[in-house]
Amino acid sequence: MTVAPPEQSARKYDLGFARWVRDNVNGGSKMSMCMQCGMCSGSCPIGTEMDQGPRKLFMMIRAGMKDEVFNSSTIWNCTSCYNCVVRCPRGVPVTYIIQDLAAKAVELGYVKDVENARFAKAFWWSASKYGRTDERLVTTKYYYSGGLADFFKKGLGNLKIAMGMVKTKRMHIGMPYKVKDTKGLQAILAKAAEIDARESKGGAQ
Amino acid sequence: MSDTKKFTYYPGCSSQGSGAHLDRSLRAIAPKLGIEMEELEDWNCCGASVGHIEGGRLANTALSGRNLAHAQAQGPQDIITGCAACYLNTYGVAEKIKADVKLRENVNEALGAGGLKYDEDRNVRHACEVIVNEVGLDKVKEAVTNPLTGLKVAGYVGCQTVRPFAETEGGGAYDTFDSPEFLDNFIEACGAEAVEYNPKTACCGGSVAVMKPEKTLHLIKKILDAAKEAEADVIATPCPLCQTNVEMYQDAINKQYGTDFNIPVVFYSQIMAVAFGMDGKKDAALDQNIIKATKLEEKAK
Repeated sequence: MTVAPPEQSARKYDLGFARWVRDNVNGGSKMSMCMQCGMCSGSCPIGTEMDQGPRKLFMMIRAGMKDEVFNSSTIWNCTSCYNCVVRCPRGVPVTYIIQDLAAKAVELGYVKDVENARFAKAFWWSASKYGRTDERLVTTKYYYSGGLADFFKKGLGNLKIAMGMVKTKRMHIGMPYKVKDTKGLQAILAKAAEIDARESKGGAQ
Repeated sequence: MSDTKKFTYYPGCSSQGSGAHLDRSLRAIAPKLGIEMEELEDWNCCGASVGHIEGGRLANTALSGRNLAHAQAQGPQDIITGCAACYLNTYGVAEKIKADVKLRENVNEALGAGGLKYDEDRNVRHACEVIVNEVGLDKVKEAVTNPLTGLKVAGYVGCQTVRPFAETEGGGAYDTFDSPEFLDNFIEACGAEAVEYNPKTACCGGSVAVMKPEKTLHLIKKILDAAKEAEADVIATPCPLCQTNVEMYQDAINKQYGTDFNIPVVFYSQIMAVAFGMDGKKDAALDQNIIKATKLEEKAK
């Protein structure tokens, strides 16, 4: 759908990738405002669980480090707390950029076995099939996506939680809730994907 | 004159699962606050913070577009939601569509495939913002018939309820991003004590806590540590994911850190329902908390 970013060049500061981010990533047009002050990384609650904070990730974009950016755990461990968005002195929509980099990493085939991508798949399966997120099915599907061993490890680890949820009527049992007009919803989503493909630059096939 | 204002109510998916007690208690207290909530017709998922990854940007936007189209058909009234993620997405998309003609065109082309259109604008509001700006603290105090004297509450707001919109004009400019006061004000209006609580807008890990709790337990621990230090009887929050994360991972945290947390986590709306003299189960939904809020239950009628 999105036109592929340029090949990584041997030159240290190849702006080709930064330009691609500017043109293709949600919020990317504001990337050039980044002055590397580090407010974002300093405000990030989960920076310790990331390969690098947002500040460094943005510098890597400028340095043309395409593969390293798309393979970075930073784009997957963002919790969407929006601290960086409200604190950035230059108005860079950091969270939005990171969220969309994750989507682009999937689209461009970088992602092989990232938990978040498997979770996103399970989530979208429920949202697009039923129009609702069935937390029970999404988590089960997600646990299962990591293979049988992972399914038992994660599933059994959370069994007590699940039982508590069932007992307090916070886990739905039975047929999934769904919107009345599932056909209409699916037609809308299919059309949206079609428009996305048509509109993305260079995406004409 | 009527003291009631009508809203289109978007409950969101968690209302049929992990956040059922937010939905139940919010529906219960709304009439007492002069809020009439008519459920949004055939509402769907907002996409939360992951929908765009597998679904794509426009399809994810179209999810909120579909809800907005139904709201438009339902009438001119504002949309209200109690869920932080539903608010963030629905409000965000409504504002984006308002500002971007091309996006409106694309969303409507997609909506057309399902026989819907969104060619007007609707305001999307968080229930807490409505209570602050529309209802007012005085009216909350007036509704209190069962003041929760002696109950110590740690007001934990979380992230997306206030970020990134609470301080903006469109978001109702009702509080700050870093140290919001509305929740403590709600607690005190109910006659309880809002204890000094610093990690007000600390992050619980959000959906990362659901996928990879091992990466986020330390975040939740901070939230619990401060509540314990302040000797809070209960933590109160407006966010369904915060409520679930902070409640359900206490066992895992105890196992990992050798702690002994067993702190109930409730919604502000459950506290209000009790303070408004309503039924502890039917209205306040206290039976839906996994860690029982015993002190709050004792005060319930």
